[in-house]
Amino acid sequence: MAAAALRAQLNALLANMFTTGMVDEQFQQLQSLQEDGGSASGFVAEVATLFIDDADRIIADIAALLDQPVVDFDKVDAHVHQLKGSSSSVGAQKVKLACMHFRQFYEAKSKEGCLMALALVRSEFCDVRNKFQTMMQLEQ
Amino acid sequence: MELKAKGSTSIKALLVEDIGVCRLVLSTFLLRLHCEVTLAMNGKEAVDLFLEGKKFDIVLFDKDMPVMTGPEAIVKIRAMGETDVKMVGVSADDHAMEAFMSVGADLFVPKPMRMEALGPIIQEVINKKKNDMV
Repeated sequence: MAAAALRAQLNALLANMFTTGMVDEQFQQLQSLQEDGGSASGFVAEVATLFIDDADRIIADIAALLDQPVVDFDKVDAHVHQLKGSSSSVGAQKVKLACMHFRQFYEAKSKEGCLMALALVRSEFCDVRNKFQTMMQLEQ
Repeated sequence: MELKAKGSTSIKALLVEDIGVCRLVLSTFLLRLHCEVTLAMNGKEAVDLFLEGKKFDIVLFDKDMPVMTGPEAIVKIRAMGETDVKMVGVSADDHAMEAFMSVGADLFVPKPMRMEALGPIIQEVINKKKNDMV
């Protein structure tokens, strides 16, 4: 496919990610760093890949904690906090917001609430992961 | 691990952060601002660097890390007499500011830290270093 057409597809994808609130100004800043030449090409892809790997692991760890007969809500708190930090650093806004929504349920020590909140986090993460993966394929 | 950008300002920055993606983003910002960057994965690694005699102009700490937290590390480092080093707390935790400032941090910045916030902080460290040399 011609380079210009691929570029147009990539731009449309990125625009969609911004307008739907999937990513925020932090992601824009990471892109700017790469485009300004201050960072190596592939910097955004490296950040996205690290985030995907971290988030995959954290979500699996939270699910395992919630699967226990007695839930350690302090550990759930710690993991959600980690995911909030990493999602905010990469600009994955909807994942960050889902983590913030999660807090009320582990503070209330509600297993059912936590499971619902985890489902939302997972859903938002899957969406942004798919978009990031498409972005990286188009950039290649 | 030490990272160095071209045209270094000779500002030595220590970044203490356990989450990989946060470490990559912040270290890239610091390199963009021409700092020499050393990475530590938790508070204990940071304390060990100071115990080895390493010198830094600025240290950025995440709050919650395994082995030793950011505030715990600040207490230990300040107790070594490192009162001149600028210590900055960085966290996504809404209650982190008090935890950092109460133990002697100079500044707290909520995550995600932006270049617009980090730039003036580094400039202030540069200015102070120049004044101290006069």
